[in-house]
Amino acid sequence: MSHEIEQGQSQASSAARTSRPERPVTWDEVRKRNFVERIKHERFPYELEQDWQRLAATPYEAIPEEDMLRLQWFGLYHDKPKVGFMMMRIKLPNGLLSPAKLRAIGEISRTFGRSYGEITTRQDIQLHWIRISDLPQIMDRLRAAGLSTKGGCGDVLRNITGCPVAGVSREELFDTTPVVLEAHRLFSGNPHYSNLPRKHKWSISACPYHCNAPEIHDVALVGTVQDGAPGFAVWVGGGLSTVPRIAKSLGVFVPMAEALDVPRAILEIWSSDLKYRMSRAKARFKFMVDDYGPEQIREKIEHHLGRKLSDLKTNPRPIGRTDHMGVHPQKQPGKVYIGVPVFPGILEADQMLALADLAEELGADIRLTREQNLILAHVPQERADEARARLRDQARLDGQVNPIRGHSIGCTGEPHCNFSVGETKHKLVEVVDHLEQQFGSAIADLRLYLDGCPHACGQHWVGDIGIQGTTLSTPQGKTEAYDVLLRGGLGLSAAIGKAVLRRIPSSELKYVLERLVRAWLDNRAPNEPIQSFFNRLTDERIQEIARGQNGSAVAPQASG
Amino acid sequence: MSSTTESPRHVEPMDDQEAGEWAVYFDDRPPEDLLEWAFQRYHPRLAIVTSFQVDTLVLLDMAWRIQPQVRVITVDTGRLPQETYDLMEEVQQRYGIALEVLFPDTRQVEAMVRKHGINLFRTSVPLRLLCCHVRKVVPLQRALQQLDAWITGLRRDQWATRANIRKVEIDHDHGGILKLNPLADWTEEEVWHYAREQNVPIHKLYAHGYKSIGCAPCTRPVQPGEDSRSGRWWWEVNAPKECGMHCPIETGGFEHEVQAILGNATDLTLGNGK
Repeated sequence: MSHEIEQGQSQASSAARTSRPERPVTWDEVRKRNFVERIKHERFPYELEQDWQRLAATPYEAIPEEDMLRLQWFGLYHDKPKVGFMMMRIKLPNGLLSPAKLRAIGEISRTFGRSYGEITTRQDIQLHWIRISDLPQIMDRLRAAGLSTKGGCGDVLRNITGCPVAGVSREELFDTTPVVLEAHRLFSGNPHYSNLPRKHKWSISACPYHCNAPEIHDVALVGTVQDGAPGFAVWVGGGLSTVPRIAKSLGVFVPMAEALDVPRAILEIWSSDLKYRMSRAKARFKFMVDDYGPEQIREKIEHHLGRKLSDLKTNPRPIGRTDHMGVHPQKQPGKVYIGVPVFPGILEADQMLALADLAEELGADIRLTREQNLILAHVPQERADEARARLRDQARLDGQVNPIRGHSIGCTGEPHCNFSVGETKHKLVEVVDHLEQQFGSAIADLRLYLDGCPHACGQHWVGDIGIQGTTLSTPQGKTEAYDVLLRGGLGLSAAIGKAVLRRIPSSELKYVLERLVRAWLDNRAPNEPIQSFFNRLTDERIQEIARGQNGSAVAPQASG
Repeated sequence: MSSTTESPRHVEPMDDQEAGEWAVYFDDRPPEDLLEWAFQRYHPRLAIVTSFQVDTLVLLDMAWRIQPQVRVITVDTGRLPQETYDLMEEVQQRYGIALEVLFPDTRQVEAMVRKHGINLFRTSVPLRLLCCHVRKVVPLQRALQQLDAWITGLRRDQWATRANIRKVEIDHDHGGILKLNPLADWTEEEVWHYAREQNVPIHKLYAHGYKSIGCAPCTRPVQPGEDSRSGRWWWEVNAPKECGMHCPIETGGFEHEVQAILGNATDLTLGNGK
């Protein structure tokens, strides 16, 4: 690829071209070329906040398309078709919910939506079927419950994620909840930080498993202890979408008390550089990290702060991987947390209400996870069995299912999302059902991440098996199909997966996955992870396996 | 269509990651660089798809200087203004190319008209979408099935939902072929400047105040000060947002709306036509 790009470069210089004047990097030029910058400038999206009543009273037909875009800054995005129903994303820093908040969301979904919500990979809850005419009432109810959608979408700092068992885990290095909440208070919905070149994603955690996927964030504060002091390594420039990047370490150690100085400096440096507003295709912070490299980014931050940062002695590495499901004793004596899979990430309103009642009665709180599950924390140890039974019977959340259901992800996709080209959550269920029938507990640790488009809300680039929707042209017309990605992963072997199998027809997907999984289970070295197994096979060999042409068995010994 | 369409795929279609990196590479490079790269890799399974807006004609002019055998595909929906047919002739003479003109399936059009009337597009939003689908989108989908890559005139300054388009994309709405948007970072002003400088053939209706070129009954001039969106389907109430001007087949948006609103109803005409 890079070699080819160099060739592209020499072609470009040799060919005769129409001359194009150098484009000045000015606000005028930015607004001329970037429609979203123009709309933000004409009326800043947060000003709509004064307008809920007027908007609600306006017939859908008469609401300008520009305002539909501005609504993104309030977590509102048009569902498909674009005839007036909205997706509403409620921001939940670190995925934290009180029973009262969950009850409010359940009631809002029942009254104004269609009685369900989705847990997202950024630990938010999304409702669908929301009408603009109901927004004044919905916003009042959210505010009364201490909830907000502000900065849920748009060119802002998105929900700040973290380890869902922060503050209760016995394994965490230290509690990062106060840092997340302080960052949320300072930056989320703050107009000064809400006209960024593009969306921006932070994760802050001291989970020893790095369950929060710091390597795919614009900025991650990764908890570590250096010379006895708790603090953070700073990883930058990660992100997925069509140009995926694994984050790089800035090589700095930031003590707890100064934790937010570096992310704040990054926001200010990046958002004031107009170069990253000229083209939204290159506006994400990861492209600035591509352009300058972590060393120069560090220098820029130090210059901005007017002081040197401490060197990081050891880059923190995860001790393994976990989704925090199951029952675990907390650091608080006598308390446990209980993680239950919510597969495929959809909660019905009655489940939310039952959960809220149950949590309230147990004195528990609720945490949402990146892998679209739910954790009850602060459950009295002696009531753990009761809590699990009631989760199963009253909220239809069974902790005894195959763990693959806990750590597989499906994006929103069909029928709501305007980008998706195929089934997502339903497809994931179909595939997992099939693999479970074939392999049972042998696939308990497998992570399937499935997306309907390359934007990768479901993080397909870094699943054990990534699956992305596409279409296939056949003589009968176009049909739904999926690319299958292998060799991706998070943590110690973080890597972007490769689409080794292209355009597998939807009806064949589960059989192709079955053959891949069987080849791995039958031929792996003892406990060999699926990622390293497929790393030692050629693309051609994998394609043969997928077609059912097994031929000679795959040697169990890694070939280096 | 010409025999060139029978030629085998000579390039295995790239995946999203590779396309993403090329998009970054070409993002601030001139459109001709991308076109030259595309012709080397994909010609003759590469074509410009045009409805004779100025953008794609500028692209044709650039492309023709690189590859005089450039393929140009268009759809005659059966409802085009005479000015469009005049321009087709002018373009063929100017560049010495044979336009590949596609037509809708007669059985589908006949069944649709028999069932819903000749002017069905004025009746309701779903029927207008059906008309676009049958007369324009289905033929284009058929054309795209024969290609490894296609070239569009989409620009980021046209609308918010186009602000994020990349110059190289995998077209997941059309079989995963490559979609190239070489003018993504150009402004309308720059397009017209090029067209004037190079004396590119221009659709006559622009001089009459049209902001977009399409079927005769569904486009009209835009008065000074009026929103350009008033130039298409101005009679419609409760049409999907952005579908007036901003979700053509090039963005995939149209097909998503059609699928969501009409579902399998688009197939009815097929059954009735037999």
